[in-house]
Amino acid sequence: MSLVTVGIADLKVSNNPEDTLVTYSLGSCIGLAVYDPVAKIGGMLHYMLPDSSINQEKAEKNPAMFANKGIPLLFKQCYSLGADKKRMIIKVAGGSQIMDDAGTFNIGKRNYAILRKMFWKNNVMIDGEDIGGNCNRTMYMQIDDGKINLKISKKGMVEL
Amino acid sequence: MSLMEEIIAAVDEMPPFPQVVQRAMQELADPAYEVSGLVDILKVDQAVTANILKLCNSAYFGLPRKVSSLKEAVVYLGADQLRQLLVSGAASKIYEKPNEGYAVFADELWRHALATAVMAQVLRRHLRLKLDDNMVFTAALLHDVGKVVLSAFVIDKYRAIESLVEGGECSFQEAEKEVLGFDHAEIGGKIAEKWEFPPEIIAAIAFHHEPSRASKELRLLTEVVALANNLAVMVGYGTGVDGLACRGHDLLLKKLNIVEKDLEGIVLLFQIEMEKTCDIAGLGES
Ligand SMILES: [Fe+2]
Ligand SMILES: [Fe+2]
Repeated sequence: MSLVTVGIADLKVSNNPEDTLVTYSLGSCIGLAVYDPVAKIGGMLHYMLPDSSINQEKAEKNPAMFANKGIPLLFKQCYSLGADKKRMIIKVAGGSQIMDDAGTFNIGKRNYAILRKMFWKNNVMIDGEDIGGNCNRTMYMQIDDGKINLKISKKGMVEL
Repeated sequence: MSLMEEIIAAVDEMPPFPQVVQRAMQELADPAYEVSGLVDILKVDQAVTANILKLCNSAYFGLPRKVSSLKEAVVYLGADQLRQLLVSGAASKIYEKPNEGYAVFADELWRHALATAVMAQVLRRHLRLKLDDNMVFTAALLHDVGKVVLSAFVIDKYRAIESLVEGGECSFQEAEKEVLGFDHAEIGGKIAEKWEFPPEIIAAIAFHHEPSRASKELRLLTEVVALANNLAVMVGYGTGVDGLACRGHDLLLKKLNIVEKDLEGIVLLFQIEMEKTCDIAGLGES
């Protein structure tokens, strides 16, 4: 087994059954994991911000930083390995917040809202999610069976 | 001895902030500093000298030929980079000191400190705050230094702190206070006092979870560090143990009229800077 790290503002896809994709310390960021169980192809994205309109230049160089650029790219890369849109299993984690009643620090919420909106427009269903709260999450995906494990601060390991 | 007395004793036993670094910082504070004077101070410390040369010759700078003299390296790096290198070199040793308790997460503590320092610098520049860049970097880098000392003492109390945080009503720092009677910020303030740091830095460390407690003249730096800590934790450069159980301080944002889009822009600038800093510090993304 080899662990493939998906950094912050990064995405990776794989069809190697030996691989486990992992992304660490999701706070307000979102980890999106997609998997085709027939072709055994999976991908993971760790994005930080909802919308790239704040900086077009950076969006060109690093699309995985933004939901609106990173999400389509993740699907595209899976398709180019041979994954099929109709078979995709989709799981989402992250979007946490610090303790703030005023909602000033709600980037996590906005990161999740834009994903919902994009999926709704494209008729994509979410098969599992663990969103919000004030915990930190690490997300793992095994490529051989698509199993997703989350390591959640104060809670430990859970399967999603 | 009460727990507080034991901890005060541990603070007293902490090694001083490296003399060489402090003297070099004083020298660098004068814009007309002399390279030869600075070299004389730095060369006394083998480890510091080696670090400066290593950075200069790292892939990050991609110099066409190897720099082998300290003098050349000092000239090449310039005051700003030297300062950051010196302070972060000293701070990383303090944070990465192996111990128990919180320090199962020693690496994470250091990453969090570095992220907070980078965030604080981004805030200062982006919001054009009238603060000394070096002061901002130092205070933010050392803001959680109290955790280093405290961690050795909380092993048996740790479960109690954790379960208070799990309840969801209580931030990690509030839980510390509830269980121990004091928190890591207060202890950090005592360490900064022992190191004879300027009052602004002492206040910023001591009150980074309660910025309104800092006296008016010292408030701005404290607010910047509090906000930088909030944002670093928010994006996931936390400390491992406390997750995002950290209370938000948005006073500074309100004062400066910072709205959602600006905050996203700040996070973006931060990530660009942080990637650079990790390259220099040799910290991979993990
Ligand atoms: Fe803190
Ligand atoms: Fe902190």
